[in-house]
Amino acid sequence: MVNENLVKDVVKEPYKYGFVTDIETEKIAKGLNEDIIRLISEKKEEPEYLLDFRLKAFKKWQTMDEPDWAGLGYKQIDYQDIIYYSAPKQKEKISSLDEVDPKLLETFDKLGIPLTEQKKLTNVAVDAVFDSVSIATTFREELAEHGVIFCSISEAVKNHSDLIEKYLGTVVPASDNYFAALNSAVFSDGSFVYIPKGVTCPMDLSSYFRINSGDSGQFERTLIIAEESSSVSYLEGCTAPMFDTNTLHAAVVELIALDDASIKYSTVQNWYAGDEEGIGGIFNFVTKRGKCLGKRSKISWSQVETGSAITWKYPSCLLLGEESVGEFYSVALTNNLQKADTGTKMIHIGPKTKSTIVSKGISAGKSINSYRGLVKMGTKAKGSRNYSQCDSMLIGDQASANTFPYIKSQQPNSEIEHEASTCRISEDQLFYLQSRGIEFEEAVSMMVSGFCRDVFNQLPMEFAAEADKLLALKLEGSVG
Amino acid sequence: MKIIEKIKTNKSIDNQTEIQKICLDKLQSSPLPNPKSEQWRLSNKSKFSNFLDYSVNEKDPKFDTPFPNSSQSNIRLVIGDNCQINLIEENYSIKQLSEDKLVKYIKEQISCFDRNENWSDLLNLSLNCKKNILGLKISGSEIPPIEIFSHASSNSLNVKTLIIFLEKNCDIDLLQVNLGKDNSSLSQSTFFCLEENSSVNHGVVSYGENKSNLLNSLNVIQQKNSEYNLGSLHFKFNYARFEIRIKQSEGNAKTNIKGMQITKKDEQISTFTKINFHGPNGFLDQINKSLADDKSHAIFEGSIIVPKIAQKTDASQLSRNLLLSNLAQIDTKPQLEIIADDVKCKHGATISQLNEEELFYMRTRGITLTEASKLQLSSYFQEIISFIPVSKDRWDLLDKLLNET
Repeated sequence: MVNENLVKDVVKEPYKYGFVTDIETEKIAKGLNEDIIRLISEKKEEPEYLLDFRLKAFKKWQTMDEPDWAGLGYKQIDYQDIIYYSAPKQKEKISSLDEVDPKLLETFDKLGIPLTEQKKLTNVAVDAVFDSVSIATTFREELAEHGVIFCSISEAVKNHSDLIEKYLGTVVPASDNYFAALNSAVFSDGSFVYIPKGVTCPMDLSSYFRINSGDSGQFERTLIIAEESSSVSYLEGCTAPMFDTNTLHAAVVELIALDDASIKYSTVQNWYAGDEEGIGGIFNFVTKRGKCLGKRSKISWSQVETGSAITWKYPSCLLLGEESVGEFYSVALTNNLQKADTGTKMIHIGPKTKSTIVSKGISAGKSINSYRGLVKMGTKAKGSRNYSQCDSMLIGDQASANTFPYIKSQQPNSEIEHEASTCRISEDQLFYLQSRGIEFEEAVSMMVSGFCRDVFNQLPMEFAAEADKLLALKLEGSVG
Repeated sequence: MKIIEKIKTNKSIDNQTEIQKICLDKLQSSPLPNPKSEQWRLSNKSKFSNFLDYSVNEKDPKFDTPFPNSSQSNIRLVIGDNCQINLIEENYSIKQLSEDKLVKYIKEQISCFDRNENWSDLLNLSLNCKKNILGLKISGSEIPPIEIFSHASSNSLNVKTLIIFLEKNCDIDLLQVNLGKDNSSLSQSTFFCLEENSSVNHGVVSYGENKSNLLNSLNVIQQKNSEYNLGSLHFKFNYARFEIRIKQSEGNAKTNIKGMQITKKDEQISTFTKINFHGPNGFLDQINKSLADDKSHAIFEGSIIVPKIAQKTDASQLSRNLLLSNLAQIDTKPQLEIIADDVKCKHGATISQLNEEELFYMRTRGITLTEASKLQLSSYFQEIISFIPVSKDRWDLLDKLLNET
C-alpha cells in the first residue's frame, strides 16, 4: 500500500530561489498609458518605427478582452497596478563583466548561472535578464568570430536595426492575442540571436530570466533568426523571489528558420509557484511561436514546466516550408494549487511537413494540469504527418489531469494520429523496486523520471540533469 | 429565424403546458446558444439558421416510410400519430407513463440543464405540445424488439420527445429511427433512465433527404449494474447535430458506444458526447467514425469526465476519421477531464484517407479501384452497423451507405 503522507512529503521541497536581491533599482511609475509607453521607448532610445509598433499594439490591446476560455479562474489582474519598467541602477555603458554590479553577479552565482568569465569551461553563452533589462551577455566575442549575433534585444535595436525592423512581430503579430499585444506595447528587454548562413552555432546559447521586484511585471521578447543551413540550440531558464502577490510575466518568443536551418529551443521554467495555500506566485502567460519558413527547416521546442502559479503557454510551429519539421516535447509538473494549461499548436501549411508532439503531465496536490493542443492540416499540406502522444500521471486523488486536443484536417493526403492516456504510480512497480532495496522516495523519483524519459532525452545535457533533479525535488513528499 | 422570433415574443405558442412555460422562460432572454461556446463554435451559422427557419408543424405528418414493413415479432411505434400503447403480457409490460410522472421527470431534468449544453433539449421541450411526447415504462423479460420512429414533414419544423424508463432487471433491444424529409427540420430529444441491472441495446439511425435538418439529443442516466450499448448512424442531412449525454449516476455501470456519421456535398454533421462517471468502477468503450467527402464537414467532440468519486473507472474513446476530398474537412476533439487517480483512461484520434497499400494489394489481385475502395469502406462501416440492434439486415444499411458514398 502506498503511503499517502510519504507522497505528500516528496513534493514539499521549499523553493530555493525565493531570495530577493537588495539592489538599487530604477523604476517608473505604476500604470499603463501612452505616456508610459513613450517613456519606456525613450529610456531605451528606440527608433520611431518601434515606438509606432508599441503604440499600435497598445491601441489594439485596449480593444481586446482578456481571454477566459482556458477556465484558469484567477483573480482579475489590475494592469494599472503594475510597474512596466524596472532596472538595476548601473553605470551607463558596460565594457566588461567586471563593471557589472557585484551584487548582480552574486545573484546569478547563487542561481547557478555562470556569468563570470572563469566559468568558460561550461561552454554556454548566457544573456542574463534582471527584471526589465539585460545585464550581461557572455562569450560575445567568441560568437562574433563565427558571425553569430547574441545580445539583448535593446542592443539589437541599436546595432542591428534592419533585422529587428524586418522580423519583429512577423511571427507573433501585435494583434495575435491579449498578452502578446500587451507585451508588444511594453516589452522591455530580452535576447536577440542571429545565426548567419551556413553557421552551426559553436556553443549553446542561453538566457536566464530573473524577476526581482515584487510589483513589476516582466515582459521580455526573444527573437531568434536562423539563416539558411544554420543551426542553434537555445536554452532558457527562469526564477523569481517569493512574494505574497502575483507577478505577471507575459513574454513573446519568435523563432524564424529559413531553408535547411534548425532551431532547438529548450526551457526549464521554475518561476515561484506560490505557497501551499496558493498565495503568491507568477502568472506565466507566454506566447511562443516558431515559423519554419524555409524548405527542410526544423524547429524543436522542449520544455520542463515546474513553476508558476498559473501557466498559460502553447509553443507553436507554423510549418510553411516544404518538408519542414516541428517538434514539441514537454513535461509539466504541477503541485499544490498550481494550474498549468499548456500544449502546442502545429499548423501544417506547406506540403510534406511533419510534426511530433510528446507531452507528459504530472499532477499532484490539488493542482490542475491540462494539455491543450491544436494540430491543423491546411489544404496545401499534402503528404504531411503528425503524431501526438499525451500522457498524464496523477498523484493523489485531488489533482486533476485534462487533455483537450483540437484536431482539424482539410487535406485528405495527410495523416494525423493522436493518443492520450492517464495512469498513476503503480503500486506493483513501487513494491518491486522497494523489494530490491530501493528507498521509497528514490523509487518514486525513478518512476517519474522514467515516465518523462522521452522528453528528457530531447533536452541538452545540462538541462536534462537539472530537469531530473528538479522533478525529484518538486515531487519530494507528494507520493503516497 | 421564425422560431426564435416566436420564442422572443412568447406569443404564438398557444395553450402552453407547464413544461413549455419553464423552458420558454429559460430561453426568452437569450434564445440562441452562445456561438462562441465550445459546443456551438464550429456549427455552420447559415445551416443552423436554416434549421430554425420553419414554423412548427402542428398536424400529424403523413407517414410514408422508405423502410421495410414491420415484422410481426417487432413492436413498432410512431411518435405523434396518436401513439398509444399499453401492453401487459405474461413476462413483460410496456405502459404509457402517466402525465404526472412525465412532468415530474422532465422538470427534474430541466433543473440541471445548462443553457448552452442543453439548448437542443430546451428548444425541443419549449416547442413540443403533449401529443408529440411519448413516455414509456418498460418492465419484465423476453421483451420483443421495439422500433420507434420520429419523422418530419416537408417545409416545417417537427418536434418529438421520447422518454423511457427501464425498470430493474429488464433488458430490451430498441431501434430509434429519425427520418428527415426534403426541406424540413426535426428536433428529437430522448431521455432514457436505466434502473439497476437493466440493459439496453439501443440503435439510432437518422436518415435524411435533401435539405433536411436534424437536432438529435440523447440523455441517458444509468443506475448501478446497468449496461447501455448504443450503435448510431447519421447520414444524408444538410445539417445534423447528435448530442449524447450519459451519466453513470452510481458507477458500476457499463457503456459501449459505436457511432458513425457520413457527410457528402456541403453537409455538416456533428456528434457531441459527454460521459460523466458519478461513481466507482464505471466502464466505457467508445468509438466514433466520420467520413467526409465533397465539400462537407464532419465534427466530433467527446468528453469523458472522471471526478474524485469515480475511482477504478476504465474508459477509452477512439475517434477514427476518413477524409476523402480536398474540399472536405474534419474536426475532432476527444477530451479527458480526470481527477480520480486510480483510473485507466485513454483516447485516440486519427484522420487519414483510405489505406493505399491495401488498395494497391487488392488491385494487384485484379480488383478494380472502385471495387477495392468499396471493400475497404464496407469493412469500415460494418464495425458500426453490426452493433445496431433490431432487424438491421432487413434494412440494408450497408448497401445504402455504399451506394451513397
